[in-house]
Amino acid sequence: MIRILVAKQWQEIFKSYHYNAKKNKARSKWGVIGWYAFFIVLMVGVLGGMFTFYSYLLCEPLCSSKLAWLYFIIMGIGALFLGVFGSVFNTFSSLYLSKDNDLLLSLPIPVDAIMISRLIMVYLMSLMYSAVVFVPAMLVYWFHGYFSIQTLFGCLAMLLVISILDLVLSCALGYVVARISLKIKNKGIVAALGAVLFIGLYYAFSYKIGELMETLLNNAILFGKAIKGSAYFLYLFGSMGEGNVVALLIYLAIAFGLLALTWFILKRSFVSITTSTAVQKKTVYKEKTVKQNGIMKALLLRELNHFTSSATYMLNCGLSILIIPLVSVSLLIFGNQFLTPLESLFGKGHVSVLICVIGCMMVSMADMAAPSVSLEGKNLWIVKSLPVTSWQVLKSKLLLQVVFAIVPMIFFVISGTILLIQTASINPYELFFVVVLPLIYTLLHSLLCLFWGVNLPNLNWTNEIYPIKQGLAVTLSLFGGWIIAIAFGGLYIWQGYKLGSSLYMMIGTILFSILSIILLIWLKTKGTKKFEEL
Amino acid sequence: MLKIDNLTKTFEEKVAVNDLTLHIAPGEVYGFIGHNGAGKSTTLKSVAGIQQFDKGEITINGISMKDKPIECKRIMAYIPDNPDLYDFMTGIKYLNFIADIFKVDAATRKERIRKYADLFGLTDDLGQPIGTYSHGMKQKLALISAWLHDPKLIIMDEPFVGLDPVASHQLKGMMKEFCANGGSIFFSTHVLEVAEKLCDKVAIIKQGKLIRSGTMEEVRGDDSLEEVFLELEEEK
Repeated sequence: MIRILVAKQWQEIFKSYHYNAKKNKARSKWGVIGWYAFFIVLMVGVLGGMFTFYSYLLCEPLCSSKLAWLYFIIMGIGALFLGVFGSVFNTFSSLYLSKDNDLLLSLPIPVDAIMISRLIMVYLMSLMYSAVVFVPAMLVYWFHGYFSIQTLFGCLAMLLVISILDLVLSCALGYVVARISLKIKNKGIVAALGAVLFIGLYYAFSYKIGELMETLLNNAILFGKAIKGSAYFLYLFGSMGEGNVVALLIYLAIAFGLLALTWFILKRSFVSITTSTAVQKKTVYKEKTVKQNGIMKALLLRELNHFTSSATYMLNCGLSILIIPLVSVSLLIFGNQFLTPLESLFGKGHVSVLICVIGCMMVSMADMAAPSVSLEGKNLWIVKSLPVTSWQVLKSKLLLQVVFAIVPMIFFVISGTILLIQTASINPYELFFVVVLPLIYTLLHSLLCLFWGVNLPNLNWTNEIYPIKQGLAVTLSLFGGWIIAIAFGGLYIWQGYKLGSSLYMMIGTILFSILSIILLIWLKTKGTKKFEEL
Repeated sequence: MLKIDNLTKTFEEKVAVNDLTLHIAPGEVYGFIGHNGAGKSTTLKSVAGIQQFDKGEITINGISMKDKPIECKRIMAYIPDNPDLYDFMTGIKYLNFIADIFKVDAATRKERIRKYADLFGLTDDLGQPIGTYSHGMKQKLALISAWLHDPKLIIMDEPFVGLDPVASHQLKGMMKEFCANGGSIFFSTHVLEVAEKLCDKVAIIKQGKLIRSGTMEEVRGDDSLEEVFLELEEEK
């Protein structure tokens, strides 16, 4: 019974590897193999390779100083963290909120079997992520000549302890994450900010990891003494890898004790949680007088509502709204360091064009208008039945992108201008185009996004992630924008510099303006007709 | 109020609606019945201005849907068979959005939202995202949005599906009151008993063609509407 349930769970998790939701049919045998191979390459090749590299850096210096236990503490904690964070966000839903709860509970299946099958899947997910860190650490350790029966059992038992602790922590933290997410109101914005914070921390950590490792290796003996003296329990954690029997017995007892406690708590709460209806706090409506908005404002607010309610939409189509101001501030602070190598590479008088290219490339990542037509989906009947023109609907989609893209771009051109005034000899004429060209490009790119959105709509999606992440309109908007920006910079480096940066940027501004006007006319005429035919 | 003359709509090779003519006067509740795929929804969507049609003319209050769709839509409301609404909005935000589009002033919308939301028992849920609504709640919200701007013509595709008995009863009352005040309703239904009790006139469509229409008495004669419908369906 448990085997059948685990197989079902497995199919659910890896559903996208077996089934093409876009084409609404099962993948071919080779397609399935290809997807699994891709996953293995990603996990073993990319993540495993990265941790093999870190293991190599740490293993020999620490083990030769008789600090193998410190090596195992570092890699063990890494495995513990990745194991927990790799599965914590799915734990609560996979344990309790499965769509087949009612079906399974109505069948002659023991509740324990349902629980065990779900815990096995959470365990396997945690084990997979922690093994990606810990297996390379083990292999590198043995490869350096420390292989013995004792270390073999020690390392394997330590992996077992880590994976069980991962399971316990995933269940506990998963419960906390679920409770918090039920309480917060603007989930979309919070999730998007959380993701941005996570990406920021990841890059900060990646940037600092070399420095941290160097500090650790230079002061390994000092750190080792401090841990052994004041955190003996942590020392025992690491010494499991060396095959320390006492440490193994203590940690195995703790791990299995916590596992038993988790089982006991889950068993008590499982049925009541799975069969309870939504516990989300209800927002009680309080009547108030709302100011009447004009049609355009109402349509624009509708687009804004959609954008801010979806973390997927915000992260995939609006991340540059946050990146551009950050880059603008960085330009002001570190601009000199950035400009000097560029000037030495391209010569003085050319950096203004390059600043424009950077701005255009960044704003190309803002493409919320591209999936906006597809996102109407099954709701398209609403705007079609309302007394609004198709152009008003399209204009609201265009405006949302223009407003969201132009504001950070204003920050960018101001920063770029200040930097150029401070560091380069630049004439007012050139300065004018450094301001105008990226702003005109922002308008052009927004029009292009809507152009692709109207021409390549997909109204029959089952999850909005498909038009947002996999839609051809989005791909063409993003890469098309980059190609235009790179082509503009490339042409300048190739031949355009002969005209001088001011004249070149003026030609660019005129060209972008003409293209914008053509696209605007197309959208107002043929674009609206195409929208009406949907 | 509504004139459909020689309406024809084809999808590639298939003729969905074939030369359909139907007139609805002010104050009439007009029922539209037919089997699945007969062309009811296609006709209703064409009238609502959602779908373009190949031939014929649709006029609402004397205004051509082809020439002046915005003017037509301003005086009508449409509710589809499956009320897919904006899941990302709360109920009240959706109603305010509709009110903004139809330029309903603040005081009027407040009063109408209170009236109809109370009637359907939806007031407490208006602050909730539509994504959390059941099918019936979405249907009620769509009905409130239709009545919110006081249209002259209401087009409804299977409006009773998903409604609980109390809400169905309320809707029937609203429909009668609306038509008593001079409004017109054109709606499709599979529930023949409802059509029989509620409609002043009824039209039966089969394979895109109007096969019978008129007052309830004219259509059913001495039989029940169900018997007439089944008899017509059996005819080749």
